[in-house]
Amino acid sequence: MNEILFSNQVIIYLLSEATLFFLLFIAFIISVKILIKWDFNSFSPTQFKLEKQAYLVSTITLFVFLIKFILLIYFVFTVDSISVLVPGAMCGAGVITANEYGTVLLGLKFLLLALLIFWFYLQFYDTHTKEHLYFKHKSWVFLAIFVFVVLELFLDFQYFLNIDTHQPVSCCSALFGQLEGANPLPFGLNIPLLLTLFYLLYILVILTLNLNYKVVYIVSNLLFLYIAYYAVVYFFGTYIYQLPTHKCPFCMLQPDYFYIGYFVWGFLFIGTFIGIGDVLSSLVIGIPNLKYQKITSYFLSLFVLLCTSYVAVYWLKNGVLL
Amino acid sequence: MITVENLSKTFYNKENKSKILTDINLHIKQGECVILKGISGSGKTTLLSIVAGLDKPSDGKVLIDGDPISKLPDLFASELRAKKIGMIFQHFNLFEHLSVSENVTIPLIPSGLTIKEVSKNVERALKIANIYHKRSLVSSHLSGGEKQRTAIARALVANPEIILCDEPTANLDKENSLLFIETIKELHKMSKTIVIATHDPLFEKLDFDNRIIPMVNGKIVYE
Repeated sequence: MNEILFSNQVIIYLLSEATLFFLLFIAFIISVKILIKWDFNSFSPTQFKLEKQAYLVSTITLFVFLIKFILLIYFVFTVDSISVLVPGAMCGAGVITANEYGTVLLGLKFLLLALLIFWFYLQFYDTHTKEHLYFKHKSWVFLAIFVFVVLELFLDFQYFLNIDTHQPVSCCSALFGQLEGANPLPFGLNIPLLLTLFYLLYILVILTLNLNYKVVYIVSNLLFLYIAYYAVVYFFGTYIYQLPTHKCPFCMLQPDYFYIGYFVWGFLFIGTFIGIGDVLSSLVIGIPNLKYQKITSYFLSLFVLLCTSYVAVYWLKNGVLL
Repeated sequence: MITVENLSKTFYNKENKSKILTDINLHIKQGECVILKGISGSGKTTLLSIVAGLDKPSDGKVLIDGDPISKLPDLFASELRAKKIGMIFQHFNLFEHLSVSENVTIPLIPSGLTIKEVSKNVERALKIANIYHKRSLVSSHLSGGEKQRTAIARALVANPEIILCDEPTANLDKENSLLFIETIKELHKMSKTIVIATHDPLFEKLDFDNRIIPMVNGKIVYE
C-alpha cells in the first residue's frame, strides 16, 4: 500500500465515489427491470410499482449528478494537493501523468459530466410530458452512464494505487514546455493563428447557438473546446503566471494564483457541456427550441472575458506583452 | 367528472401487507354531492387522497374529466389539482402565523394572476365562506369554526369545479357543523362537484340532493 492511498483527500474521494457507485448500482438494477417491463399506458400494480421505482432512479441520478460535479472539482483539488508526495511533481500536471491511468481517468470524468448533463436535459423534457415520452431515451442514457461509472471507479482505484511515490515524474515545465523545440500546438498553428482561431470560434459558437444552427454549433463548440485548451495552456496561462515559460493547465488551480483555474476551466467546461447537452437533447427529442442558450452564452463569454482580461491587465500595467 | 375504476390500494410493511381499498368503482357527475360514509379506517381518506392526486393507487385508475390523475407526472397532477380541485381537511391545515386573507391567498401564488385579480378572488372566496369580516386576524386567534371557514375560502379561491372534504366537521361543535353544511349547500347550488368523507351523522339527513356511499373495510358496500 502506498502513502497516497492513505492521504485524507484520497480516502474521502474514494469513499465518496464508492458510495455513489453503490447508489447507482441499485438504480441500475431497477432501471434494467423498468426497461424490460415499462408500459405507461397500463394501470396494473406492476406498472404503478415501476413508476414509483422510476422516481427513485431519477432521484438517485439527480443526487449523483450534483455530487459528481462537486467530486470532479474535488478530484482536481486532490490531485493537486498530493503533488507534495510525488517526487518531481509541483502541481497536478505531474501527479496526473504519474501513471498511465491519470489522463484517461480525467478525460472519462469530463465525458461522464457531459453525459449526466445530457441525462438531466432528457429528464427535464420527460417530466414535462404527460405520458413520459422520453422515458426510454433517458433510461438508455442512464445505463450508458452506469457503464462509464463502473469504468471510472476501476480507474480511480487503479490510478491512486499505482502512483509510485519513489519514482520521479515530469511536471509541467517538461510536459507543456518546448524543451525539445517541437511545436506543441495542433494543426501546426502558431500563437497568433491560435488566438485568431480562438476568437473566431467563440463568435461562431455564440452565433450558431443563437441562430439555432444545431449541428454546426456542436461541431464548432467541440472545436472551440479543443482550441481553447491550447490557448489557455500556451498563451493565456502565461499571463496568469506572469511568466512566458510557465505553461501548465494545473498550476492556476493553486492558491498562489487565487484558484483562478477553477473558474477558467469551470466556465469553459460548464458552458460547453450545457450547450452541447441542450442541442443534443433537442435533436434527439426533435424539438426546435433550446432551453439554456443564454446560460451557455454567459458561461463561454465569461471564460473568454476572464482569459482576455489577464492579457489586457498585464498590457495596461506594463505596456508590453509577454 | 370523476371516474374511479377498479381502484385498489395496498400498503406494504416489512412482512405484512394491508389492503386499504379493494376494487372501488365509482362515477360522480358534475354538480353532484357525494358523501363517503364510514367509520375510521374504512378507507375514505385514502380514496379522497387518490382522487386528489396526492397519493397513487396500487391498481386501477382515477379520471378527472378524462385525465388520469393517478398517472400524471407531479407537475401535471399539481396543475390539475390547482385548477380543478379544492380540498378541505379535518385539521384545517392553515398557516397559524398568517392572517386569514394570507392563508386564502396561498393557492393563487403560482397562478400568474395579477395582484388585483388575486385580491378580487380572495375577497369573493372570503365572502362565500362567510369569514370576510375576520380577514385581517391571524389564524391562531380564530375559533375552530372560523378556521374551518378559512379553509373553505382557501379551497374556493381558485374557483375549482371539485371540492373534496376530509372529515370536515370532526373538529367542530354541532352549531359550526350545521353552518358548514349550509356553506356546502350554497356550493352545491353553484354546481360544484362535492365529495365529503365523513362519519358525522349530520350528513345523513341533508336537505339538498346528495348521494351517500357507505364504505366498510376499504370496499363500497353498495352504490
